[in-house]
Amino acid sequence: MRKPRSKTLAAVVAGGLMLTGCAGTTSSGSDDAAGERDSSAPLHIGAVLPLSGDGAYFGVAGRKGIELAVEQANAAGGVNGKDIRVTFSDSVCEPSGAKQAAEKVISDGVNAIIGDECSSATLGLMPVLEQEGVATITPGSSALAITDPGNDWTFRIMPNEVMQGADLAEKAADELGAKTAVILHENTDAGIGNAEVFQTFFEESGGEVLDVIGFDREVQDFTSVATRVAALGDVDVIPTYTLEGQGVNITNALAQANVTKGGGGEAIQLGTIWLPLGFEDKVAENAAEGYVRIVQFDPNDPNDAATSFLADFQQKYDEIPNHISAHAFDAANVWIEAAEKADSTDPTALRDALLEIEGFTGVTGTVTFEENDVETCSCPNERQNIELDTIHYIETQPGGDLNSLAW
Amino acid sequence: MTLLQLVLNGLVQGSLYVIVALGLTLIFGVLVKINFAHAEFLMLAAFAGVVSIDTFNLSYGVSVLVATLVGASLGVAIEFGIFRPLRKRRTDELRPLVATVGVSILLQNLALLYFGPNPRQYQSPYMQKTIELGELYLSYQRAIVFVVAVAAICALFVFLRRTAPGRAMRAVSQDSDAASLMGINVSRIVLMTFVIGSALAGLGGGLLGPMLVIEPTVGANIIVLSFAIVVIGGFGNVNGTVIAGLLVGIIESLVTGYLEAGLSSLAIFGVLLLTLAVRPTGLIAERVEQNV
Repeated sequence: MRKPRSKTLAAVVAGGLMLTGCAGTTSSGSDDAAGERDSSAPLHIGAVLPLSGDGAYFGVAGRKGIELAVEQANAAGGVNGKDIRVTFSDSVCEPSGAKQAAEKVISDGVNAIIGDECSSATLGLMPVLEQEGVATITPGSSALAITDPGNDWTFRIMPNEVMQGADLAEKAADELGAKTAVILHENTDAGIGNAEVFQTFFEESGGEVLDVIGFDREVQDFTSVATRVAALGDVDVIPTYTLEGQGVNITNALAQANVTKGGGGEAIQLGTIWLPLGFEDKVAENAAEGYVRIVQFDPNDPNDAATSFLADFQQKYDEIPNHISAHAFDAANVWIEAAEKADSTDPTALRDALLEIEGFTGVTGTVTFEENDVETCSCPNERQNIELDTIHYIETQPGGDLNSLAW
Repeated sequence: MTLLQLVLNGLVQGSLYVIVALGLTLIFGVLVKINFAHAEFLMLAAFAGVVSIDTFNLSYGVSVLVATLVGASLGVAIEFGIFRPLRKRRTDELRPLVATVGVSILLQNLALLYFGPNPRQYQSPYMQKTIELGELYLSYQRAIVFVVAVAAICALFVFLRRTAPGRAMRAVSQDSDAASLMGINVSRIVLMTFVIGSALAGLGGGLLGPMLVIEPTVGANIIVLSFAIVVIGGFGNVNGTVIAGLLVGIIESLVTGYLEAGLSSLAIFGVLLLTLAVRPTGLIAERVEQNV
C-alpha cells in the first residue's frame, strides 16, 4: 500500500489540528423567536455564556442562577405585567465565540445581555454591543479593561482584577506575613492582568516576586512548573490564576514537589474567585491544605437574601449553589430592577437605568454602579460595581474542610 | 538537580504521549487513515475509569482495565460503523477522515450532555505518595505510568515482530493486496489494529486520568501533541513514534523549566516544522515502506 506524500500528510495533519481545536464549539439553541425591540416589549435577556469547552462549568452554573431569577420574577408577575424571556448562547469562553453568540442573541431581539464569564470572551463581544447599542452585565469577568472609560455598554457586578488583586496582595503581606511570591497564571487577558496587578501591589507592600510563570490553557502537566518553583528556594505565597481543571493539576504538582503545605512545604497557594466551591474535593488528599482564596458567595451567610437563594436553589437543582450561580442570579435581578426603574425595555433606557441603581442587595453583596472612588482602582469608571462587601476569604484545612477567615 | 528532575519529568510525560500516539500510528500504518476521534476514545475511557471507581467502587487497577476495554470497544465500533462501510464503498481518503471528525464532535458533546462540564477527579491512591531518589522525586502514580507505558510499548514491539498476527499486521501495512493474496484475512487484521490502537488510547486515559481532571475536552489537548509526535516520528512508524514521544516530553519539560511554560507548544511545533522541512518523512525515514 502506497503512503501519501509528505505534503499531503502535512496538509492533513494541519487540517486535523485545526479541526481538533474547533471540536468544542457548540451552540445552544435560542428558546425564543426573533422580535422587534421597542420600549413596551417584554424584558428579553440574552445570556452569552461558555456552555461548552474548558470554561463550561462557568456557563452551566451561571445559567442555573439566571433561570432561577427569571422563574421567580415571572412567578411574581414579570416586569410591567409581562413575562421575562431569556435566550442563551454559547461563547465557548473565547472572543470569537462570544462575538458570534452576542450577534445571535441580538438578532433574536434581546434588549439586555448577561455575559460573558470569561474576560477574553467579554472583551470579544464588547464591540458588538457598542455597535448595536445593547448593554451587558458581566457576572464573572475580572479584566480591568472591560470597564475602562469609554466602554459605555459594559457593566461589571463583581470586583475587578485590581479590587481583588490589591486586596489579595495586601492580605498576603499583612495577614500571612509573606515576603516572597511566585505567580502562576494562564496566558489570557484575565490571567495576565491579575498577575500584573498582584505583582504591582505585592511589590508596593515590600514583597519580592521571584518568578512569574505563564502557560497556555492546553498545558496539562505541571510537574516541571512545580520543579521550577521548588528550585527557587523559600517561597511564601503562590497566587494562581487558572480555570478549575488546570488549578487541580497545579495544586497536585506543587504538593508532590513538597512546595506547598499540602506536600509538607511552607508555601501557601492564593486564589481569587476563579475556582468553584468543591475544588478541594478534586485534588489529591490534603494537596490543597493551606490554600487561601477569595469567595464571593458563602452558603453559610446568614443574611436573608443568601438564605432564601440557597433554599430556592437547592429546591430547584438539588445542589448547593456556588458564587458563579450567585453572581448570575444577581445580574439577572439587577436587569429586572433596571427594567422596573426605567419602565421601559428600550436598550438605551435600560442601560441608563443601571447607572441609577444604588445599594441593590443581592445574594453576593451590594451593587452600586457609580463613579469609582476606591483608592486601589487606577481607572475610575461608572460601570463597575464598587462595593467590596463580597470579598471573603476561605482557607482549606487538612482533610479538605473550609475555614472562613475573618480578614 | 533541576536538569535531571526536568528530564525525568519529561521522560515520564513523554512515555504517556507515546502510548496515545502509538494508537494513531498503528491505525495509520495499516490503513493509511487518521482517526480524529482517538482523543475522544481517551476521554470516554477516562470517564469510564472514573465511573468504575465512583459508582462501582472498583480499585484503581481494575478501573485502568475497564478504561482499556472501553477504548478497545470504541475501536471496534468505529471500524464497523465508519471505516469498514466506507472501505466497502471504495470512497476517497477524505470521507473517513471527515467522518471521524464528526464522531469526535459528537462524542465530546455527548460527554458534555451526560457527564456535564464540571471536571471530575479520577481517584488513585498513588497520587499523593512520592518516591524520593536522592534529590529527585517522582510520585507513585507517575512511576506506575512510566512502568506500565514502557511495558505496553515492549509488548507491542514483541507482538509486531514475534507473533503471527503481528507479522500479518506488518504485511498488511506494507501491501494489503499482496497480504490478501498470501491468505491473510485483511479485514480481521484491520479490526485487530483498531482494537489494539484504541485500547492504547483507553490505557492512556486510565493512566493519565488521575494526573489530570476529567472533562469532555480532556482528550483534545493531548491529541494535538500526539499528532505532532506522529509526524515528527515518521507517519505510521512505531520506532519513530517512541523516539519522538520521549523527545517531545523532554522538550516540553525543559522549556517549561528554563524558559516559559507558554513557549512549550511553540518549541514542539517548531520542531515539527523543522522536521517537515528537513526530513519530511520523519525521524525514521529509511523504514518508510515497513512502518509497522
